[in-house]
Amino acid sequence: MKFQSEPNTSAGEFFELLENSGYRWPANIEGAPKQNGFTVPQGTTVLAFHFKGGVLVAGDRRATAGNSIMYELCDKVIPIDDYTLMAIAGVPATAFEMARVLSHNFEYYRRSQLQSMSIEGKIRALSKLLKENVGMAVQGLGVVSPIFATYDPAGKKSRIHFYDMLGADFQIRTHTATGSGSQIIRGILEHEDLWGEKPLAERTREEAMTLAIRLLQTAALFDSATGQARPEDDIFPTLATLTEEGYRFLNDNETAKIFKTSTERG
Amino acid sequence: MFEEPYRWMEAVSTRHNYVQEKLKMGQPVMAVPYNEGLLIFGFAPQPGKIFEVYDRIALGGVGHPADVERLRMNLLDMAHLEGFNRSAQDVTSARLLQFGIAPALKQNFEEIQRAPYIIRMLLVEIDNEGKSNFFRMNYDGHWETFKNGTAIAGEEKVMDWLQKEIQKQPFATYSLDQALQQACKLWDESRKLESDDESKKDIPETLQEAFDQWYLEGAVLSEKSARKAIYRPLSKDEIERLKSSTV
Repeated sequence: MKFQSEPNTSAGEFFELLENSGYRWPANIEGAPKQNGFTVPQGTTVLAFHFKGGVLVAGDRRATAGNSIMYELCDKVIPIDDYTLMAIAGVPATAFEMARVLSHNFEYYRRSQLQSMSIEGKIRALSKLLKENVGMAVQGLGVVSPIFATYDPAGKKSRIHFYDMLGADFQIRTHTATGSGSQIIRGILEHEDLWGEKPLAERTREEAMTLAIRLLQTAALFDSATGQARPEDDIFPTLATLTEEGYRFLNDNETAKIFKTSTERG
Repeated sequence: MFEEPYRWMEAVSTRHNYVQEKLKMGQPVMAVPYNEGLLIFGFAPQPGKIFEVYDRIALGGVGHPADVERLRMNLLDMAHLEGFNRSAQDVTSARLLQFGIAPALKQNFEEIQRAPYIIRMLLVEIDNEGKSNFFRMNYDGHWETFKNGTAIAGEEKVMDWLQKEIQKQPFATYSLDQALQQACKLWDESRKLESDDESKKDIPETLQEAFDQWYLEGAVLSEKSARKAIYRPLSKDEIERLKSSTV
């Protein structure tokens, strides 16, 4: 811990404080070849949609390296602050680092400036990090494709954004999904929203959870990089909601219960 | 001029007098435990006495607002860098004080060519084992730790009195409302000890006046919080309840 005779005066900018302390975001690796027509290595399925009262964010738990299953307990839905969640697809090292930087950025800003960062400011902060990361991304070493969900307690509105690897953000009005299994479920989400029992935005929390579990199970049936739930080992998808009360993750018991009822066949 | 030790000591002594005189107007900030965590609280003519430092750490300050702000920003910088580079569990009040603020403050105070910090500071936390820790630091870098609560004030005799009175009460068994009421009563009584000074003529004479003319700032670190950051400012309802029960 180092006392600075002149503390950081950059209006709550944690990334600048980090850089002043010697931290550098890895822009690219010297001499590493750039990929032509590279594909985004994102073995996963994460999704988010608006439901009545907020946003649901969910993800499977599998981490892969090529054809190998490396880990079945990966948390791909990450709390950033009390009202923000990020779901990640892509290179875990880069994605987790982005989440850590963002989390500290938002909290540092709130504590130092004595007010929360605006929703637009939060969305822009992730754009900036993705832009910093372009060098690694074009080398195929650190591509990240995140979903960013946040709730504005003052305006009582939730927002979902997804980003391209250059940092452009796109606001989603209904639903989104990313990762290798996302193509399998995007059609289902759209179908459910347009012709399901009711639009996604009118579904209750329980109905939203049920749909999310079914979608992730479906994705796992067709995409080997998306992990299926394994109730016998207490491995379930991650389910979280963002509402007026902030984020809330379902614990294992709650998920087990809802998983059981959601996957029963009619 | 300062090559002789005596002159240096004399200069340091003068600085003590200077800072203590400047601090005199500072209104008390108290920190006490309650049955779900700890409470930090104080009245002031201007807001800016109580702040969140990190997930489980809060700060109370008395003194020049610019000095409080500089040290607050330093604490924030140190805490967030440490939390990012290592872990939130490595960010503790003791480390922030012992290895961060206190040595720098002492050095600054004894370098008599530099302007001293006009500040007294409270640092409180609920540690990773759920224990409440209370620290008090003086403008010269001297710091102390307390188990059952502590207070800072502009005048030392007020500070010492509050410290003794806080120890006499079983604050840790009180609900938040009870702890607030008792702390508020102590604050009220402590004003009788304040020196009769022309500069203090604008200080509210009653609690009613304090509520009406000044800002009550308060926050809790609550063990019951489900969040990572357990700092929460007192709500309007809690302040209204306190007002109706004490005025």
